[in-house]
Amino acid sequence: MRLKTKLAGEIHRFRDLKDVMNKANEEKSGDVLAGIAAESQLQRIAAKEVLSNVLLSDLYNHPAVPYEEDEVTRLNIDGLNMTIYEKIKNWSVAELREWILSYETSEEDIKRISRGLTAEMVAAVAKIMSNLDLIYACNKIRISAHCNTTIGLRGTLSTRLQPNHPTDNVEGIIASALEGLSYGVGDALIGLNPVNDTADNIARCMNALHELKEKYEIPTQTCVLGHITSQIEAVKKGAATDTIFQSIAGSQKGNEAFGFNTEIVMEAWDLMKHRGYGTGPNVMYFETGQGSELSSEANFGADQVTMEARCYGFARNFNPFMVNTVVGFIGPEYLYDSRQVIRAGLEDHFMGKLTGIPMGCDCCYTNHMMADQNDIENLTTLLSAAGCNYVIGIPASDDVMLNYQTNSYHDANAVREILGLRPIREFEIWCEKMGIMENGRLTKYAGDPTIFMGRGK
Amino acid sequence: MEILSIGIDVGTTTTQLVISRLVIENKASAFTVPRIHIVSKEILYRSKVYFTPFLNEVDIDEDGVFAIIQAEYAAAGVTPDEISTGAAIITGEAARKQNAERILNRLSSFAGQFVVSTAGPDLESIIAGKGSGAAAWSKEHRCVSVNADIGGGTTNIAVYENGEVASCTCLDIGGRQVRVDAGIISYISPSARRISDAVGLGLETGQQADPSKLSILTDRMAELIFLQIFDPDSDPLLQAVKTKNAGSLQRASRDTAVFFSGGVAACIFGNSDDDFPYGDIGVLLGRSIRRCSWFSSSKVEHSAEMIRATVVGAGVHLVSISGSTITYTPELLPLKNVPVLKLSDEEVRRWRSGDDAYVADRLLWFSGTTDDRILALGWNGWRSPRFAEILEMADHVVNVYSRPGLEQIPVILIIEEDMAKSLGQSIRRKMPDRQLICIDSIGIREGDYVDLGSPIMNGVAIPVVVKTLVVG
Amino acid sequence: MTMNQNQLEALIREVITEVLGSPAKNDSAVPAGDVWKTGPGSTDGAREERDDIPDDQLVDITSPEVRQRILIANPMDVEMMDRMRQMTNARIGAGRSGPRLNTVTMLTLRANHATARDSVFSEVDPALLEEMNLFSVQTRCTDKNNYLTRPDLGRRLNEEGRRIIDQKCKKHVQAQIYVSDGLSSKAVEANVRDILPAIMNGLESFGISTGTPFFVKFGRVGVMDEISEIVDAEVTCVLLGERPGLSTAESMSAYLVYRATIGNPESVRTVVSNIHRDGINSVEAGAYVAEIIRIMLEKKASGVDLSL
Repeated sequence: MRLKTKLAGEIHRFRDLKDVMNKANEEKSGDVLAGIAAESQLQRIAAKEVLSNVLLSDLYNHPAVPYEEDEVTRLNIDGLNMTIYEKIKNWSVAELREWILSYETSEEDIKRISRGLTAEMVAAVAKIMSNLDLIYACNKIRISAHCNTTIGLRGTLSTRLQPNHPTDNVEGIIASALEGLSYGVGDALIGLNPVNDTADNIARCMNALHELKEKYEIPTQTCVLGHITSQIEAVKKGAATDTIFQSIAGSQKGNEAFGFNTEIVMEAWDLMKHRGYGTGPNVMYFETGQGSELSSEANFGADQVTMEARCYGFARNFNPFMVNTVVGFIGPEYLYDSRQVIRAGLEDHFMGKLTGIPMGCDCCYTNHMMADQNDIENLTTLLSAAGCNYVIGIPASDDVMLNYQTNSYHDANAVREILGLRPIREFEIWCEKMGIMENGRLTKYAGDPTIFMGRGK
Repeated sequence: MEILSIGIDVGTTTTQLVISRLVIENKASAFTVPRIHIVSKEILYRSKVYFTPFLNEVDIDEDGVFAIIQAEYAAAGVTPDEISTGAAIITGEAARKQNAERILNRLSSFAGQFVVSTAGPDLESIIAGKGSGAAAWSKEHRCVSVNADIGGGTTNIAVYENGEVASCTCLDIGGRQVRVDAGIISYISPSARRISDAVGLGLETGQQADPSKLSILTDRMAELIFLQIFDPDSDPLLQAVKTKNAGSLQRASRDTAVFFSGGVAACIFGNSDDDFPYGDIGVLLGRSIRRCSWFSSSKVEHSAEMIRATVVGAGVHLVSISGSTITYTPELLPLKNVPVLKLSDEEVRRWRSGDDAYVADRLLWFSGTTDDRILALGWNGWRSPRFAEILEMADHVVNVYSRPGLEQIPVILIIEEDMAKSLGQSIRRKMPDRQLICIDSIGIREGDYVDLGSPIMNGVAIPVVVKTLVVG
Repeated sequence: MTMNQNQLEALIREVITEVLGSPAKNDSAVPAGDVWKTGPGSTDGAREERDDIPDDQLVDITSPEVRQRILIANPMDVEMMDRMRQMTNARIGAGRSGPRLNTVTMLTLRANHATARDSVFSEVDPALLEEMNLFSVQTRCTDKNNYLTRPDLGRRLNEEGRRIIDQKCKKHVQAQIYVSDGLSSKAVEANVRDILPAIMNGLESFGISTGTPFFVKFGRVGVMDEISEIVDAEVTCVLLGERPGLSTAESMSAYLVYRATIGNPESVRTVVSNIHRDGINSVEAGAYVAEIIRIMLEKKASGVDLSL
């Protein structure tokens, strides 16, 4: 393995493969905070050059966290298709990049190769791709999944309706949800972030969303995004949900900081197979975001793009229905400004898809970042062009419970029109039945939540 | 946590009991100030409906009532010590019987540690509308609703605005105002006689009970109920059938939602071939209400409870929970039947501008009207108080409660807006040894009585029953 | 000049119409549940923008009254829409222009965001600190940007800060309270006048000894551990500005630790958040914090080890 290069007459040496991976990253404040970022622009490009010549087998042999220490690594390595891996192990990262971008390579080819890629290979190739490379490559790939309806089919852009409320008031949650539905939002999921993480409260919220879905016969999925153990308890108490959610990290230690391990996810998955309301086979929902490992000191000296790729490697084992990066939520110490957020959003979406999972994105920002609504509207448009499965929808972009901003209920409609995309077909038919949509466009009744009054079962 | 609540209603005609489960939870996340609420109310057990046993015209059969209650506790499989809260209430004409109060006291000490006892036509009207769902409906739809609870002796009517009772009244109209025994009229109440005379029926006891003739009486009764609600000034007969000391009802607009409850309400919506299945005119009155032109032109809503509205209201809907930032001396609780002197906003302004003497005088006078030294002072308060205002208020409270005649009594303050914990701490700093209860998030009115329960949820809040005895 | 109520309302209506391009129909200026017409052609006749409106009659689109308006063009059930609005503070009933927000909604969002951003980047008014008798020390962060990107530096005092606290503060106290800007200077400015004396008052009512309060600039929560070590406090409590949301930039949190030491896990912290005018008001929050301190001293525990 070559760990040095000459660039513009200068010799650049790197300590090891991890050092190369770290420094090959586009600039992220989180990597600077971790003390592992490239020290100059030229050193960054030097690292990219070195990385482009690294073989996939080198990446296979040097996971960011050792196999023996970490169940995320083990799941990733043990889950590989070795027949496929053997065929590509001598490719360089540059060759992988060019193969992905090549006209000769089909969507099916990429999905097949994906089975032989570890998270580190996925991260490596993302590091040597430009933003448009990432968008172009992603647009080749569609990863669909089925719970009650099918998400991620070509030509669709879906939305998760997020009807959050500062005190989990059920009537308030339903009011927000009806407003969202009236905009044709919610085909991916109606998913609430609860304030209060007790099993009783989660059960109450689960049942409220389920009743809403049943009452208006909405072809979609529901979820209450509490802690996984609280959701398990709620389901065991008889609460109705189609999916179970958990925030995940790229290392066992990171997951432990989130208060769960693989065994608990297996338990939840099993529970959903037997007690869930969703048809399946895909019944799990995960969220990720660059930087969460560093925030729990569980990054093992690795950069945040690599750790993020490992989240997807973990998620893949549970055949999720949805995975999304909450890309701008974590704060400026990890993603400083809109430039870094947009880059991270494109990277995460690409890495998720290349890993073979149905990827969406919460295009968002907090009020202490150097970003505003314009920036995440840009990101939403770019990701939709890249074939992102879904984005989030909330009332007028303001989440009154999580105190951050993401896409408004309006946004997906505008993007769908611009790019010729539609909601999930069954959901679109439902919107047409409700009088909200016609030929993929909002009707004059759209945006009025009171149209549902006196209707439904 | 879960608590069991009981409701016992000893009425003119029937005696009933319900046991319900109230689930109390901290609705706030673990990272902020708790918010303790009753999150669900579920009726676990409904007793049979018994005829209230009477010894004679003036005395309720005390032991008979007790035998019923004890049998129903046994049937429900609960013991009094499992019951945390609730209310025993004597309603209608039964409340006017000689031994009513003694029965109440005995009931409430038997039924469980914090079971309150009460009677009074206004409270009865209020809780029937809570049991029927009229109160909740007006809150949910943010509008006005009216509930008419038609029992054996009286019709209790209450008007609700946004879930709060706005006014109520009571008429001496009910299913047992005329009784029928083996086809013969055996009893005619004074009020029924007045109506009978007014329509020229000339009813007398001993006459054959003719359904068509008695229907003329019940038609008029039905009309009077609707007139009381929608057009009270149009008919002088209304005054003649009004229950003594009943309040006056505000006139309702024609589109107001109307709820019916009580034993006769079941007859409005039921379908009995028998004219006198209960030996009274209840079924006839129910039919009269249904065929009355007022009925079809009114917005009649479905009641959650009919004959059980009062007992459900008492057992399920009377208890509320104080705010979660409060101050109290634990040894003082629980307290029952605490009269509250409610200061108006204007009086509070006067007090805050320095007139401690005024409030002290009011309190002294008020304490003179009750023979108990336990009494509470209440006011609305204001949102987001400044700390300087809390300190001033504490000074005023200390000044008032240091006056001769008031310097010995416990300081019990009930405030609607959230300020009780800081105010309580400030008072305690100045009067460290004084017994003190300072709670908030409880709305009260002039003339209310409150029951303050033992602390719940690690002492964060206390259960409170507000008993509004006079509305208006 | 004096105006009667009707004249005033008429003027306000006129002003609103001009500012928002929308005719007000009802009697009050900005009634709850009123449906406002938006879009071209919703105002008839000639229009004139006047600059001689008195300042106190200008309409603030971020005010709660204006935000109550329903911007849906023709809601099927206005009354229901109004009721739904009462159930949540989410911005529902927003209406639309095609698939985009109405202008006033978009500008209100931008204004709220600007307020939040300004609160992150502004500094606490020194006059307030003087008024509250709080001396000021600083963490190892050198400026706001440094503070935002280097949480590690915000968890430690600079050398001067350590020295000043060591010199000025009472030691070996039962409770050390201090204030820090955190992510919102506005939160400190809005709450500290009420919450700090309310805590002190409560602690005094319980007979608990307190240390010397002060202010920490560029403070992260974790710096409380170092402060606890310097003053040897049994309970340390910081009142810290929360990351601003769009609905309020004035929210404060209190973090409390029993016997905090550098390097203790985050799970030892007890948090009381959402302290602001529309959340838990500062005086009641202060009284509650005092009560928690009393319980911590009694149980000698905090965070996950303490059930409240």
